[in-house]
Formats: sequence, structure tokens, C-alpha cells
Amino acid sequence: MPNLPPEQDKVQVSVEGRELSSLMVTREVSRDFFAITPAYRRVLLILGVVFLAGIIAIILRFVDGFGVSERAQWGYYSAMFAFLLITAGSAPLVAVAFRLTKNHWRRPFSRISELYAVVGLLSLLWFLPLMALLPPIEGRKTLWVSSNFVGAPLWWDLFAVMFLVICGLGLLVLSAIPDAALLARTGDGGVRSRVLGAVAGFWRGTDAQWRWHRLGLTALGAFYFMLLIMVQTLINVDFVMSLVPGWKDSIMPAHQALAGLQTALGCVLVGAFILRATGRYRDLIPMESFWAISKILLALSLLWGYFWFAGLITFWYGRTPVEQNVLRTFMFESYRVPFLLNFFLSFLVPFVLLMWNPVRKSVIGPTIAGASVIVGAFFMTVRLYVPAFGIEDITSHGLATVPLPIVPDVLDVFIILGGLAGAGLIYMLAIKIIPIMSIWEIKEGLLYQRVRPLLRSRYLVLGKPD
Amino acid sequence: MHEGKVLAYKRINRDLLSGLFENQLRYWAIVMFLGLVVLVAVVAAGFMVNRGVGVTGLNRPVFWGFFITNFVFWIGISHAGVMLSAILRLSKAEWRRPATRAAEVLTIFSLMTAVLMPFIHTGRPWRLMYWVFPYDFQRGIWPDIRSPLVWDPSAVNTYLISSILFVFIALIPDLAVIRDRSSGIRRIAYSVLSLGWRGTPRQWKLQAIAGILLSALILPVFVSVHSIVSWDFGMAVSVSSWHSTIFAPYFVIGAVHSGVSGVVTVMILMRWLFRWEEYVRKEHIDALARLLIVIAIAWFYFFAMEFIFGIYGQEGDELATRTLQIFGEPWGWWFLTFIITAFFFPVPLWLFRNVRRSFLLMTITTISVNIGMWLERFLIIVPGLARKQIFTQSWHTYAPSPIEIAIVVGTFALVLMLFLLFAKVFPLIPIFDIKEGQVLKDEIKIGRRKVPAVIREE
Amino acid sequence: MTTQSVLALYTNADYAAEAGEALDNAGFAKEDYDFLTDTPYPEGAFGERHSSHRLYVFPFVGALIGLTTAILLTAGTQISYPLVTGGKPILSIPPMAIITYEGTMLGAILFTIIGIIFESRLPSAKKRIYDDRITEGYIGVVVDCEEDQVNTVEQILTQAGAHEVRREEA
Repeated sequence: MPNLPPEQDKVQVSVEGRELSSLMVTREVSRDFFAITPAYRRVLLILGVVFLAGIIAIILRFVDGFGVSERAQWGYYSAMFAFLLITAGSAPLVAVAFRLTKNHWRRPFSRISELYAVVGLLSLLWFLPLMALLPPIEGRKTLWVSSNFVGAPLWWDLFAVMFLVICGLGLLVLSAIPDAALLARTGDGGVRSRVLGAVAGFWRGTDAQWRWHRLGLTALGAFYFMLLIMVQTLINVDFVMSLVPGWKDSIMPAHQALAGLQTALGCVLVGAFILRATGRYRDLIPMESFWAISKILLALSLLWGYFWFAGLITFWYGRTPVEQNVLRTFMFESYRVPFLLNFFLSFLVPFVLLMWNPVRKSVIGPTIAGASVIVGAFFMTVRLYVPAFGIEDITSHGLATVPLPIVPDVLDVFIILGGLAGAGLIYMLAIKIIPIMSIWEIKEGLLYQRVRPLLRSRYLVLGKPD
Repeated sequence: MHEGKVLAYKRINRDLLSGLFENQLRYWAIVMFLGLVVLVAVVAAGFMVNRGVGVTGLNRPVFWGFFITNFVFWIGISHAGVMLSAILRLSKAEWRRPATRAAEVLTIFSLMTAVLMPFIHTGRPWRLMYWVFPYDFQRGIWPDIRSPLVWDPSAVNTYLISSILFVFIALIPDLAVIRDRSSGIRRIAYSVLSLGWRGTPRQWKLQAIAGILLSALILPVFVSVHSIVSWDFGMAVSVSSWHSTIFAPYFVIGAVHSGVSGVVTVMILMRWLFRWEEYVRKEHIDALARLLIVIAIAWFYFFAMEFIFGIYGQEGDELATRTLQIFGEPWGWWFLTFIITAFFFPVPLWLFRNVRRSFLLMTITTISVNIGMWLERFLIIVPGLARKQIFTQSWHTYAPSPIEIAIVVGTFALVLMLFLLFAKVFPLIPIFDIKEGQVLKDEIKIGRRKVPAVIREE
Repeated sequence: MTTQSVLALYTNADYAAEAGEALDNAGFAKEDYDFLTDTPYPEGAFGERHSSHRLYVFPFVGALIGLTTAILLTAGTQISYPLVTGGKPILSIPPMAIITYEGTMLGAILFTIIGIIFESRLPSAKKRIYDDRITEGYIGVVVDCEEDQVNTVEQILTQAGAHEVRREEA
């Protein structure tokens, strides 16, 4: 088979007769990559304008007041940071995890997932002002055990976020090298193909190169996974729990990390859906991939409910004053609305939707569930980070009263919209530097699938290299 | 491609049913020995019932000791079964085939043994029966469903009933195989059990759906069981180090860690005992070991979180309990043993392919995990209770009495013995599953290499 | 006229599938014949009829029954024995949720099991034509037909390469 010219190495990839060849993959991705359409420019423009409005809102907020004692009005800003970390920070895990488990359905999703790493640059910038807003750790509970811990917590948090971003970008670049080399050759000879050629010119696809490539992706991926869980834990404790006197909740960081895994699937589903909806890569992103990922989303959504209940029942049963006030603040009184939205969108909606086989086995069903968990995660950050930033007396023995809710003002709305638009803008720019489909991975997938007869019917045969 | 299949299938039947139709001296010797150990435990339990719980080491304030530790441990082992077979069925992992039934059966027997422990623990088992089923219209006294001790039986019973039925449904086609190979009373018995199975496409289709559907239904139950066991502890505010929100997932992942290790140990044992060299192969153990690495690391994260949040509060009594747990005599040594045997000894070794593919080393490392995980439960329960009271004069420590040790050792023998007796009556490796694996097996040629492939039904 | 069952044994799955095809061509309905195997072949491998089932209804019915029972039981016991423990409300929802959850799952699982057995048309007390060698890897093709068709059927089955053909009164 490999000795045939590319046009002829067509592989049937579904029992219904859908066919693909390496050449078709290269052509389709290359065409889309090099085209810069008016619609694309329009999207960039809109995102740019909203992002700019967000930046202006942040500046106005600075003028309003900035510093430890003014942190209450920065609650939504910090929630936005957490949201970016939870969603875009976790999104590359889809590529990482299912590459490790060698699932074929991941292939069209891999690059969509890895590209979210570029949003890390925005998260990193977004984090910097937060450093000046966090009060010193003297006199309160802290993960860092003592206030003498050098650089704790800010510098360590900054390092952690920075390492995560670097690691994510490294993963993206490494994964994209073979595609960059290919596009540099098949490209239009413009600036972008020349740059790609300069960056990935060394790549010739030798056996040794592929071996190192695979090893590098595995190692970086595993490292990214562990780093991400650690970063989520640190940020959650330093920016939420530690600011609420007397709150000791060991499942909270893990719950946030889990919400991250959930939204990672959501981000990829939404990304893939938009691609298909705008008429791209319909052959490369089959329904089977949506179907496969939806099962995992269902499991993670159930886990979300489980983690939430494990936290709730312990506090509900303990009934100490702090526990009761924490429940009232974050769930049942002050922030009841974001909590209910969080609960419905992160747990009930995906659960009820994805329970049904026909819904799971579609493109739109999993996408709605995916979008739902993303929005749900947003309300999760709102109900956690905003109240935590609003508590004044953080060194008392325990949360004595239930604080009043902080309602977002116009600036907050623009800050949130600006953050979202900024993330979108970076992502949209990145897809013209790195292709959104992982060409080499999809081509590799073609090697391992065949449609073959068994007795009176035809079936898909999948190869599993060890 | 399907020529010669008949011969091959005959051999699969013969190999996998050898436990049923052949009598080995080795097998009976082991069963007799285990039976003897169980007998000792039964005598010890009888003695305890006769003399009262004073013969145990339990005393104020430590009233939960070896028995409850052992209860949590066996509940933990029982989690391997469903977790392995359900997750691997749902993810269509080919290498699950020889492992699923052994795992499910281990679930049933360890769960039954676990249920025994609270009964023995009470010292007056018959009274516990009255406590579990006190629905009583005359006096108007009803069980307090707000107590975790009532949640527990509801979860364990659901899990036990579901697992038994799950195993039974998956056994039906294999029971038909035995029916066709036997005669006399045996044939009648297996005919009744196999419900008249003939193997029509419809029956097979439903069998396949049953595997998936039941897996999906039992998985949430399995998660709830150990969570609720953890809440027996986690709900208590009075014992410092117990009231932690992460307890539920921490217990579940710990259970999976010890349970999957238990399955590996048992599979290697069965391989040796029934000579299943061709069915339980190196790649199966390798795959399980790779799964174990992931599970172990996840467990370690939850362990670390539980521990870190223990000291996070900086509360005096909690810090004192943790200090006792880690540095105090004699707990410190046990803690060190626990963390080494449960994590730092086995996990780094599993990173090496040669270890993962060595039956001897995998036996050693998986047994090591379970030593560690038993100690983990012990160290959660006892040091916390020893310092439960505020006043120093009511602090006390705990040491198990020979009666408790005999009963706990007896439970290990009991599970193993029941497992072996099961293997005498039913096949421990699902015959039809192995045959299905043969039908679905394919190969894809890429250049000069042949890559193993599998037919996917969707 | 009595209905007869004919059973043909094949050593080769291809021949069995061929027999099915030949029966189709001879005008037999897909409901008249069935394949007996000791291995789950992928669906449609023998070109057999597509069988529909309602298994998915069972867990929902079971879950509903379990849910109702558990809610009644937990709420009822709390209300009829109003003892305050640990400052918790008499009708405490979170603990109810736990037991209700277990009840729901138990109901769902029990009904699924019943559903599987029922939909598999088990247990079948009626003695139907069968051969012990099927669990050794032989593939059986069973045809239910009228007495006057038996010879035709036997001929078709033999021509497809049957190892052995026999008949029984159904």
C-alpha cells in the first residue's frame, strides 16, 4: 500500500463507504489554512473590538481602585482568570489523554484541543494584576503552612502558571512540527509558508525523528497533565479557600480540576462543531468522534455531581457554624443563582441529555452538552471567586456571617466579555499559524483502519499498535 | 479463516473447563488448607460470641479496630471487579476478556466477607439483624435514615445483589457449554441454570447489550458503595482527621488501587493453579499494570490532598493526631510501611516493562499494594479514635488480640477458598468471551509489519 | 399437518451463512430459520434477520419504581418517628437522597436483569431441537417448516455443506 502514488491510497473509513486518502487530507487542510476569507477578517475585527473594550474596562477599574483593600471589586476579574485556566488550560488534555490511550477517534480533535494552549498567554497576562490583589498570608489558613515560606503564595503561583503555559505551548509546537514542515512545502510560497519552512525545515520525517516526536509528546503530555492538576489546586486554594476564614474543604481543588477536565471536552466539542458548521472538514471529523467523546463527557458530568455531593453531605452533616455559613454563602443564599446555574449546566443538562443513546450518537447533542458545561464552569468560578474576593475580615477564626452577594456592574460585564473575546482572538490568530487539523495524526489513523467483510456483512477493523 | 475453528474451540472448552472436570491433588490440598484456617477463625468467632467482645483488644475510646479495618479493606477489594469489568467493557478493551469474570467473582466473595465483619464486630450478631431490619409497626420505632450506618447496608446490599446478577447473566452462555459437556444430575442442574440457552443471534445480541447496559448501571453503584463507607467516618465531626470532604473519592480510588492489585494477584495464582498459560498472558498483566500506574498516581493525589488539608487548618487536635499517625509509636513504623508498600515500592517498579511482564514481580508488587492499603485503613481508623476525647486521661491505644488476628486471617482464607470452590463449579474465564475475541481478531498490514487489529461493532 | 424443526450442523461459518442465503432464495422468511452458535458473531454476520427489542424500557420502569419506593420509605420513616438527631431537620433531604439513589439503582438493575432474560426469550421450558456439539464450535441452522417442505429444506441445507442434518417434531 505505501508504494502506491498518493491519489490511489484511498482508504474506506466507514462501513457506509466514506473514503479518505492522505492527499485529500493534506489538500483540504492546506487549502483552509492558507485561505484568509473576508468572514475570517470580520470575526477577527469583532473579537478585537470587544477585547479592546474589555481592556478599557480593566483600565477604568484600575482608576476606580486597585490594591489589597480594593479587591472586592476585582472579584469578577479573578473569576475570569479562573475560567480561562479551567477551560483553555485544561483543553489540551483531550489530545494528551487520548493519545496516551491510543484512541483513534481523538485524531481529528487533537489539534483543536492543543491549540487552546495559546490562550495560556492571555491567562498569564491576566494573572499579573491579581498578584497585587492577594492579601498576605499571615494570620490565615494557607496551603503554604507558614507565612515564612519564601515567595508564597504569589511567586509560586506565578511560576506554576508560567510553567503550565510554557509546557502547553511546547506541546503544541512539538505536535505541529510535522504539519508545519508539510505545509511549508505544499504552501503558497507566501510569508507563512516561508516562516513555517524556517521553523520546521529540519523535519524530514525520518524514523528517528518520529520516534523522538512520539516520546516527546508522551513525556510533555504526562507532565502537562500533572502540572495542570497542581496549578488548579494551588489557584483554587490561594484565591478562594484561603480567603474564606475557617473554610477547610479538601475536595474543592479536586472539584475545580474535574470541572476543568469536563470543560476540556466541551471546548473541543464546540470547536469541532463550529468547524463543521462552517463547512470545514466534514469528512475529517466524523460523527463517531463526537459519539466517543460524549460518553466520557457523560461520565465526567456524573462525577461532577458526585464530587459536589461529597462536599455537600460532609458540611451538611457537620453543621458547625463555619460549615453552615460556607454552604449558605457559596450555594444556598448569597450566590444561589450562579450556584443553581452551575448545578444545572454542569451536571443536570449534560446528564439528562447524554443519557439518551440517540442524543449521544449525534453531532449536535454532545455539542449542546459541551457548551452547557463550559457555561456551567463559568458560573462555578463566579460563585467561588467573587464571594471569596468580597470577604473583608479574612483573619478571623471562622466565617461568622453570610456576606451579601456582589452583583456585576457594567465594567465587570465588559471585563468578562473582553476576556472571552481576547481568548477567541488569540485562538483565531493561532489557527492561521498552526493548522487546526493534525494532519500527521489523521494520516496515521488512515493506516490503522480498514473496512473488511466477515461472512455476510462488512465491518470496520481498527488496528491497535502496542 | 474460519477453518479449523471447531478444533480450536474444543480446546478452549477443555482448557477453561479443566478446573471443573479434572481433580487435581494440588487444588484440593490448597482448599483443605484454607478450610482449616477458616475453621480456626470460626472457632475464634464462636469463642468471642460466647465470652463477649472483652476478648478483643477493643476498649475505650478505640471501639473500631481490626474488624472494621478489615471491613473497609474487603469492601475495597470488592471494587476491583466491577470497576475492571465495567470500565473495560465500556471502553471495549480487548485485553479485558480473561480478566472480567475473575474480577466480578472476587467482588462477590469479598463483599460477602466484608458484610460478615460488622456482624462479627458487634459480638452479638443476631441483634444486628434486628437493627438492620427493624421495620416494626407495633412500637413505631423506625431506623434513623440520617445515620450513615443505615446508608451503608442499603448501598452494600444493592451492590451485592447487582454484582451477583451481573455475574449470573454473563455466566448463562458458559453454563450452556458445561451443560452440553456433562451428564446425569450435573446436566440437569446446569440445564436449569442455563435457562435453556441455545445461542441464537438474538440471545447473543442481548447478551452483548446486557454487558454494556449493566456495566453502565453498576458503575455508579460501585462509586456510591465505598463513598458511603467513607461517610461512616467522614460524617463524624468529633474525630479529628475524619471529617474531610475528600474522603469519598479518596476511599473509592484507594479501593480501586487495592482491588485491581488483588485481581492481578488472583489471576496469576489461577494461571499457575489451572495452567492457563495461553489465556492469561504477559500482555494482559502488562496492560493491567499500566492501568495500575495511573490508578496509583491518582490515588496518591487524593492521599496527598487528604493529608495536606489535614494540616491546612492548623488546628491543634488535628495536628496532634497527624503527628501521632506519622511519628508516634508504634503508628509511625506502620505509616512508613504503608506508604512504601502501597506506593513507593510498587509504582516505580511498574514503570519498567520487564517488571510488568514478570509474573513473579507482579505478584510481589500487587501483594505489597494490598499490605499497604490494609494498613492505610487501619491508620485512618485507629490513631484518630485513640485521641478522640479532649481529655488526656481518656486517651488510649489499641492492640489486636489473637482472636481478632485469627478472624482477620480467616477472612483472607475464606475469600480465597470460596474463589477456588467457585472455580470448581463455574469457569473463571468467560469461555464465550475468549471465543468472541478469536472471531473479532484481525490483522492490518502496514508495509512489512503486521499490526493486531479488531473488528469494531457499533 | 405438524410443524417440523430441521437442524443442520456446519463446521464452517461460511457454509452456514450460505445455507441462510439459500433458504432466502428458496422463499423462506427470515423468521423461519435461525442460527445457533457458541460465539457472539458481530451483528449481521450471517445476514440474519434484524431483531428489535425493548430492553431500554426496563431500566427506566425499574428506576421509577425504585425511586418511588425509596422516597416513600425514607420520608415515611422519618415522619412517623420524629426524633431529632444532631440538630438535623426531621425530614432531611441529603440522607434521603443517598438511600433513594440506592433504591433507584437497585430497581433499575433488577428490572434490567428481568428485561434481559425476558427479551432473550428465556427461560425456555419447551424442548427445542439442539445439538451438544454447537458449544464445540459447530454452527447450527434451525429451520421451522411444514412437513411437506422438510425434504426440500434438508436438501438445501445439505447442499450448503452441512456436516449433519436431522429433524424433530416441533
